[in-house]
Amino acid sequence: MPDLGELSAATVEAARDGEAVEAYADESRRTEVTARRGEVEGLTFAESRGVGVRVIAGGRLGYAYAADPSVDEVREAVARARENATLATEDEFNALPPADAAEPIPSLYRPAQAAMGTERKVGVALDLERVAVSADPRVTKLEHAQFGDAVSRVAVASTTGVRAEYGRTDCWAVVVALAEEGDETQTGWSFRVARELDELEWADVASEAVDRSTRLLGASKPTSARVPVVLDTFAGSSFLGVLAGALSAESVQKQRSLFADMLGQPVGSTLLTLVDDGRTLAGPAAAPFDDEGVPTRRTELIANGTLTELLHNTYTARRGGTVSTGNARRGGYRSVPGVGTTNFYVEAGTTPVAEILRRADGGVLIQDVSGVHSGANPISGEFSVGATGLRISGGELGEPLREMTVASTVPEMLKGIAAVGDDLRFFTSVGVPTILIGQMTVAGV
Amino acid sequence: MLSRELAEDVLRAARARGGSFAELFVEERSSVSIRLDDGKIEELTSGLDRGAGVRVGHGTSYGYAFSNRLDRDALLEAAAAAAASVREEGPGDLVALRVLDPPVAHLAERPAGSVPAADKVTWLREVDDAARSFSPFVRQVVATYGDSVQRVLVATSDGRWVEEARPRVRLGVQVVAGRDGNIQTGFHGPAGLAGVEFFDAHPPAKTAEVAAKRAVTMLDAEPAPAGEMAVVLAPGMGGVLFHEACGHPLEADIVDKEASVYGGRVGERVASPLVTGVDDATIPNAWGSFSFDDEGAPAERTVLFEDGALRGMLYDRLRAEKDGVASTGNGRRQSYAHPPIPRMTNSYILNGGADAEDVLSTTKRGVFVTALGGGQTNPATGDFVFGVSEGFRIENGEATTPVRGANLIGRAIEVMSAVDAVAGDFDTWEGVCGKDGQGVPVGSGSPTLRIARITVGGTGA
Repeated sequence: MPDLGELSAATVEAARDGEAVEAYADESRRTEVTARRGEVEGLTFAESRGVGVRVIAGGRLGYAYAADPSVDEVREAVARARENATLATEDEFNALPPADAAEPIPSLYRPAQAAMGTERKVGVALDLERVAVSADPRVTKLEHAQFGDAVSRVAVASTTGVRAEYGRTDCWAVVVALAEEGDETQTGWSFRVARELDELEWADVASEAVDRSTRLLGASKPTSARVPVVLDTFAGSSFLGVLAGALSAESVQKQRSLFADMLGQPVGSTLLTLVDDGRTLAGPAAAPFDDEGVPTRRTELIANGTLTELLHNTYTARRGGTVSTGNARRGGYRSVPGVGTTNFYVEAGTTPVAEILRRADGGVLIQDVSGVHSGANPISGEFSVGATGLRISGGELGEPLREMTVASTVPEMLKGIAAVGDDLRFFTSVGVPTILIGQMTVAGV
Repeated sequence: MLSRELAEDVLRAARARGGSFAELFVEERSSVSIRLDDGKIEELTSGLDRGAGVRVGHGTSYGYAFSNRLDRDALLEAAAAAAASVREEGPGDLVALRVLDPPVAHLAERPAGSVPAADKVTWLREVDDAARSFSPFVRQVVATYGDSVQRVLVATSDGRWVEEARPRVRLGVQVVAGRDGNIQTGFHGPAGLAGVEFFDAHPPAKTAEVAAKRAVTMLDAEPAPAGEMAVVLAPGMGGVLFHEACGHPLEADIVDKEASVYGGRVGERVASPLVTGVDDATIPNAWGSFSFDDEGAPAERTVLFEDGALRGMLYDRLRAEKDGVASTGNGRRQSYAHPPIPRMTNSYILNGGADAEDVLSTTKRGVFVTALGGGQTNPATGDFVFGVSEGFRIENGEATTPVRGANLIGRAIEVMSAVDAVAGDFDTWEGVCGKDGQGVPVGSGSPTLRIARITVGGTGA
């Protein structure tokens, strides 16, 4: 079986004169264990690898991919990509990035995680469930309890001289708890990810999911009102996904962003600083280079409320007359690189959460929102989402609330930020502290 | 794709430690996708995927291992990995493999693979032209054409040998319209389990016009009203609601986890007597159809709601064995890289007796929903939220001003019980349904129907 280096070398060698050819190869070994009632409900072991080939000739781009290819099949993929390129529209900005060696981040790969045996993984999943169902008498079962890990490698090589390769390990724990009282059932979830088990606070995942489900028991619909709204880190992270799309130079260039033509202008409260940083180890999405081999870096997108920069890959950077920010992303070898985030987060503020709750008296803490992806218009920024949460009174969390809707626009919400907490927390690649929004309409009955 | 002998060896290895059954799923998928964006053919991708998954069942638990290598060594290694999750109890039986005949075939009259890529590019050009000439306010058009053939082989330790080729085509069009700083989007994406003859019935230019009309209409939209009111759902949209709010909680894994609002309620009235709903994988050439599910069970039609009474749920093999019933043929997976789970196929609310125009004209005040943007349901409580991507105010029996920012919020049983009119103008809506990280093609469908009272979340009065 050829290794990723051999496959990408074979791809680059198949290039003809005047063509730019790139191979993106990845492979991974992934294990997922779900536990249920003290038993293993499911154990999945997965091995996968593949190569995606970009051919650019005369400004035209073609793509082809193959799962677990032989060297011959990689050459065939180059031929298919070449054929596809002939039908594509010429675009002067199509280009591969020049070679630029990325500083390695060796700590992304943890030998201990890569060596962990299946039995140990099963043990963690069972413990995770056991801890969750022992924490509170109202939680006797879970909707989901999973421990998983992945060991992966990525290699990029091109005719422009890119030769980049790195390995990583990731592990995660997820719990969705079901709290019951009388006829009522409420769900609460939690999730954490780390590079190896020793750094994964999995027991907190269990207790947090339990707490978030039980505290919603007895929830009622609120009456509609305009009140201070506190987004906890879970709810805040859902909104960040909408911002990620709007800050992509691809969306802006295609006039598909609420931030089109707003560079240099205020777009939010001066308390808001929004960053993408592919090198910070505080976030799980750190990587030495992006999905076309460009080194990652720190980019301040919104600095104290002002839109300062956008996320770029090589294509959008050329089109916008700037340099790539190392934000080429793809969904594996099957797709061409688009623009995406790495560690994308709101910088922590200085306000303790207790202080935020004091300032939001009579308001609502939102703990979960649903329908952000369907309910938010990425272009106009309008949204109306369903939410669950808790009433805030006297600086404390009070009665639970369900079937609320929160409707506003992203620009209004960003401008309305009245305090940023000091409790930045990452969920997969997005991170956010607790945030206080001055006033929002919360609709109930 | 694989010799009988190798399949048997893999199944034997998978049963080495026992368990209730072993199953081998082999897949080869070739695909073409072409994307037009900003007037340019931006992307043409040819894909070749293949791989195999081995599952060993024991009770409602399983071990699953997959590889995208199809050689003997890799398959036997996967079989051993899947078997490792079973407690040692001695090797299990293997019944001689027997070929099953499909209950229904979904043939491509004109296979997409026989059509030159240049023709597909031409369809996207037609989409771009049609959308842009629809209105001067159309700013951007993104159109995605995709076709694929998924070849599937399922072999099981109880002797099932099933092979199927599933041809799929889809054209998705997203249009952005803008006027005076106001920007709105519209989407339409018909899809079928068919060849390119699908586009005779769904011409690309027509799809473009539907998407463009949605975007342009919404330019005149005003903030949606908020509060409880009547909602009339246009043909197809009730099916989307049915899929999310009723279909998911009726998937047997959710019920088995006691996380379903419908758990233990078969026979009870859970919807208005006007509502009859089915899940049907046998509809010829429909997007969510197949001949066999991904566990090798024949495609079926399953009645879920009959005149408002709960009649059935959607079973895969593991959950069916646990409940001592037959699988309903709803064990599906995104690919070889995923273990099968209970999923919907085509979930439809069937035609009723009302006249569609009457349904609207007898509604004094409310919202007429002509496109839903998708939604989320909590199956345990039945709470759901849906974004309305195209809708209108209803005033004195007429659809008037378009509204934006609307959400439908409610609980499955209450809302389905509040249906007070079902018309006879059935239509479908195709999508890709996500669950447990797996996306599978699903159809939904319904005639015009009215919900007498439901919470509409909006910013207007």
